[in-house]
Amino acid sequence: MTTRLLKIAWQILLLWLVFRCGAYLVGILHLALPGNVAGMLLMFALLLTGVVKPAQIEAGGGFLLKHFAFFFIPISVGLMVFGPLMRQSGLTLLAILVISAVVGVVVTGLFVQVMHARSSR
Amino acid sequence: MSILLFAGFVVLTVAAYLVTRRIFLAYKYPILNPVFLSTLLIIAALKAGGFTFADYTPAKEAMTFLLGPATVALALPLYNNKKVLRNHALPVLAGVFAGSLATIAAALVAGRMLGLTKGLLLSLGPKSVTVPIAVEISRIAGGEPTLTAAFVVATGMIGSILGPVTLSLLKVSNPIARGLALGTVSHGQGTAVALLEGETAGAMGGVAMAIAAVFTALIAPYYLPLFLS
Repeated sequence: MTTRLLKIAWQILLLWLVFRCGAYLVGILHLALPGNVAGMLLMFALLLTGVVKPAQIEAGGGFLLKHFAFFFIPISVGLMVFGPLMRQSGLTLLAILVISAVVGVVVTGLFVQVMHARSSR
Repeated sequence: MSILLFAGFVVLTVAAYLVTRRIFLAYKYPILNPVFLSTLLIIAALKAGGFTFADYTPAKEAMTFLLGPATVALALPLYNNKKVLRNHALPVLAGVFAGSLATIAAALVAGRMLGLTKGLLLSLGPKSVTVPIAVEISRIAGGEPTLTAAFVVATGMIGSILGPVTLSLLKVSNPIARGLALGTVSHGQGTAVALLEGETAGAMGGVAMAIAAVFTALIAPYYLPLFLS
């Protein structure tokens, strides 16, 4: 149990280091990317080239991915400061966001499903 | 007192998450989305206790500290699905590009028809991509970054509740298509839902989120003005 926890903690530290490298690269190269996405692409490259083996990050990475949704809760609580705007034009904004989300999901979902069916035929 | 408050907020958030996650995994109705339910619970608790978001912010900062490494961990399902990526590079790219263009167009056209101001429209434009990029795009375009951050979070929630339902209604069952659609429209929150559907869908959510973010940042300066003139 303790060794497993230590392993998870150690691997999360490793992921954090790659995250910081990603953020650093974005800064010095002036990329139009957030540091975390750059870190993800960097880690993908490390895995593809075999520098990092999947087993070296699976325990920690698996734990973080299992609870990925958790991180968005504290961020979403921030919506509470927009109370006045919501009371004034909340319904209009909600309608727009719903229409936009449904259109996007439909376009990507159908597009990929149809193209995928064609390419695998 | 403040350390107690900090600990209290963390316990409240973790408890809300664990309980709503159980409920969601037991019933799997999209409306029982753990982020949605927990957010409602926590905001209600904060309001009932007379607390503001500023009181909650230190706890929020501490709890989101691992979001960076968690996003890096998305490389893992991506790597496990590298074959899917190689074999379907074209539908993946085309699907994410089309979805990003469509979701922005729908928001801005609907927003104009409903009489939104130019500032609100520009703040809405980049709302489907992950917060750090959306905020930058909004600032450069002349929108209001804080408002954009709120729209991003709201879109994340809406897409992760309505997205799976819409996809199922349209009989989109392919996990690649489902993951890409959720990640394109609802960034990390959509990816979180896709991860709950399975590894392939989750990996595609991460891919879509990354591609949509870069693509939107590149086209925004040319694409957004088309809807404002």
